[in-house]
Amino acid sequence: MEKDIKILVVDDFATMRKVIKNLLKQARFENVVEAEDGVAALRILKSQKIDLIISDWNMPNMTGLDLLKAVRADSDIAQTPFLMVTAEALQENVIAAVKAGVNNYIVKPFTAETLNEKITRILEKIG
Amino acid sequence: MSYEYFVNLFNEMAADYMCLKGNEIDIPTAGKFMNILEKAANQAAEQKMEPVVVAAGWLNKLLEKTVLAQLQDAKEISPLLGEGISLLQDIADGYTKSEKYEGDITGFGKKVSPFIGISIPEQLDITSSSSADTTSEKIEINQEGVKTKASGENDSDKTTPPSSETKIKDESLLRDFVVEGLEYIEQIEINILNLEKYPDDKNYINAIFRPFHSIKGVASFLDLGTIRDLAHKLENLLDKARNGALVVTPSVIDVVLEGADALKALITGVSKQLEGKPQAETDFDLPALSEKIESLEEGKKPPAKIAKIGQIFLEEGYITPEELEKGLQIKEVNPGKKLGETLISEGKLTPKQVSSALRKQSEMAAEVSSIRVDTRKLDDLIDMVGELVINQAMVQQDIKGLTGIDRNLSRDIGQLSRIISSLQRLSTGLRMVPIKQTFQRMSRLVRDLARNSGKSIRVELVGEETEIDRNMVEEIYNPLVHMVRNSVDHGLEMPEERIKQGKPPEGLIRLSAYHRGGNIIIEITDDGKGLDKEKILSRALKSGLVSSEEGLSEQDIYKLIFLPGLSTAEKVTDVSGRGVGMDVVKQAVGRLRGKIEIESKPGSGTTFFVSFPLTMAIIDGMIVKIGAQYYIVPLTAVSQALRPRREDCISVVGSQEMISAMGQLFPLVRLHSLFDIIPEKENPWDATVLIMEADNRRKCFLVDKIIGKAEVVIKNLGGGLGKVKGVSGGAILGDGRVGLILDTEGIFAMSESLL
Repeated sequence: MEKDIKILVVDDFATMRKVIKNLLKQARFENVVEAEDGVAALRILKSQKIDLIISDWNMPNMTGLDLLKAVRADSDIAQTPFLMVTAEALQENVIAAVKAGVNNYIVKPFTAETLNEKITRILEKIG
Repeated sequence: MSYEYFVNLFNEMAADYMCLKGNEIDIPTAGKFMNILEKAANQAAEQKMEPVVVAAGWLNKLLEKTVLAQLQDAKEISPLLGEGISLLQDIADGYTKSEKYEGDITGFGKKVSPFIGISIPEQLDITSSSSADTTSEKIEINQEGVKTKASGENDSDKTTPPSSETKIKDESLLRDFVVEGLEYIEQIEINILNLEKYPDDKNYINAIFRPFHSIKGVASFLDLGTIRDLAHKLENLLDKARNGALVVTPSVIDVVLEGADALKALITGVSKQLEGKPQAETDFDLPALSEKIESLEEGKKPPAKIAKIGQIFLEEGYITPEELEKGLQIKEVNPGKKLGETLISEGKLTPKQVSSALRKQSEMAAEVSSIRVDTRKLDDLIDMVGELVINQAMVQQDIKGLTGIDRNLSRDIGQLSRIISSLQRLSTGLRMVPIKQTFQRMSRLVRDLARNSGKSIRVELVGEETEIDRNMVEEIYNPLVHMVRNSVDHGLEMPEERIKQGKPPEGLIRLSAYHRGGNIIIEITDDGKGLDKEKILSRALKSGLVSSEEGLSEQDIYKLIFLPGLSTAEKVTDVSGRGVGMDVVKQAVGRLRGKIEIESKPGSGTTFFVSFPLTMAIIDGMIVKIGAQYYIVPLTAVSQALRPRREDCISVVGSQEMISAMGQLFPLVRLHSLFDIIPEKENPWDATVLIMEADNRRKCFLVDKIIGKAEVVIKNLGGGLGKVKGVSGGAILGDGRVGLILDTEGIFAMSESLL
């Protein structure tokens, strides 16, 4: 069964976006849009309804944290659940993201199961 | 601020806590709590409410741990959190009622300590007092409670182990990775050259860090362990640089470049595997590279100058060069085997000899140690030593009469001058760096050019260890780039063309460097088609750069390529063929007081010989006198000195004075009128003229007489004078007089503006 939520995947590395898309597909999330940086992500968020953002931390120009802060600061989209992808669980990064209002974070590399679990948990909390 | 503020904050937290499903804290709530606690702790610190500061610190730490551990102990932690919030509420109540807190927080502290890893002392003694006396102690505790972030363990890594069953073996993903990964490495290579120029620029560090990071991320998904680990190591190194914990030195740059090359080879290996081709042996010694990266991270210099083991075998006289050669050949066939092993099994060496050589090698590694010194300090030191040398000469001159009488004095002076000259040698040596880095940049350039032009090129570097004044490294870069580009673009033929000529399809560019006399000589050799004398000449004739080929030697014709506006390129590429380039080279080399020679053989290649003085600090000069003034002209610019006959001096009223010499006419520059001084001799036939060359032109300078030749230490004129036209600096002469160093090009320009 396909799960009916629209997920925005943000990463500057196209292969990485594809990897995440594949994993999402394995977890039966088929409705996925992509953005290659924070600016493109914000444009998409403004123009269509997104149910969940999965963003990389490390991106040029605008980091994942910057994107998170921008999302939270914009009342139209502030409520969008945000899952941060990090390479290592660098403590200060994670804490900074948590303080900025991230819904959860996930450490590379992850499996489809972990990803599914995180997403499910976020969505449960939202209700 | 009133205590009410805290009551409200903590009530808000308590309300949120009650709303949590099953009292299990989630990340967004944890984030919210952390923000509140931070606010509360800051405000409490200002109002000296230590119990709040400490308890908030503990709670904050507890939350951090919870978040980082991904709620592993959530069931136990959650009630603690509730307890902590109630405690904070109690404390705030206490302060509202009686400006102090009567209770004891250590009990709570003991409960949280196993989770946050802080031991709580029995006697905290911070229960009630708000006096300032004990503040410092408490703040320490607080810092421990909050600021242990730096210890950076990746607790949560454990929760998402890369499970091998879910390996993504999607070939199309691997293909994408190869393409994108190689693009990223290209970016790295470009940016690292920028970083080399601006080692402190965080943007460039970031631009290199990020691709490594991305490559690592994807590689970890695709189960490409070697790539992931290497990218990870490089990323860590750059992260240190980004945080200012590591200075970007040339060795860092070298290692990163080496790392990028290794990654490129590994990624190419992946693509070969995809195509079903056998994976080629990589030339990279990955463990050695990792070691280099790690030692750099720890702030050590890589053991760059360690002799190869074979070299030590030779030096110790264990084997002959032939045996070494043979051993190396055998090793080539069996790449897994070490040279020492090979030679033992061949019976050329005993195990004892090998181990002693190995020990020697590691001792050499240990000897490499260094400190970093500001280059300005070095410059000052070299300057002062220069002064010392001059002063010493003056003293020697002054006491000349005495040394004959006092033998002790003469012995001491002799000793002093020996010490001073070795001091001078040493100090000049301090600023010398190997030319290796410049060469490596060239070989990178050649690779890029080869890719763009479709030529296949092998680069050979010889004498990379040759040293050059650090201050010249940047200066020689541009001329070298132009020459290398010229060789690649005009020198080397396309592979098909080369095969037709019976040459190997792969072209050769060889860069070599060595010292000769006081000069460093750099040779740029290609095995291409050689310079086309006829073509150069016809172009030069056509564009009016020369009037006839008469009297032009082969060398002279070759040198025409350094004239502006001459290009023999058939088609204009983005790098050469626009008639600029080689004239720029000539100018730049001239500025460095260097010289270029060309050797070329049709069909077999061209060599450029560029020689530069070893250092810019000292100039080989000719001392001349005009009136009472002494001047120094750079010897490299003097092509001849002569006293013209009266009839060779051509002077027509209202036009430029000319001197005829060697069958040519040269404009005469009267230095005394330029500098407004009274000369001893007005007439060229009584005085001396120097034929000077600069900017590919020649003019005669009129001086009273030549005093001699000397090596002088160049000094600038000092900020007060700024830039003086026609003068490039000053120097103190052996007898203590000051002489101005003439700027040949500047004087050419001055003489023309007078007309």
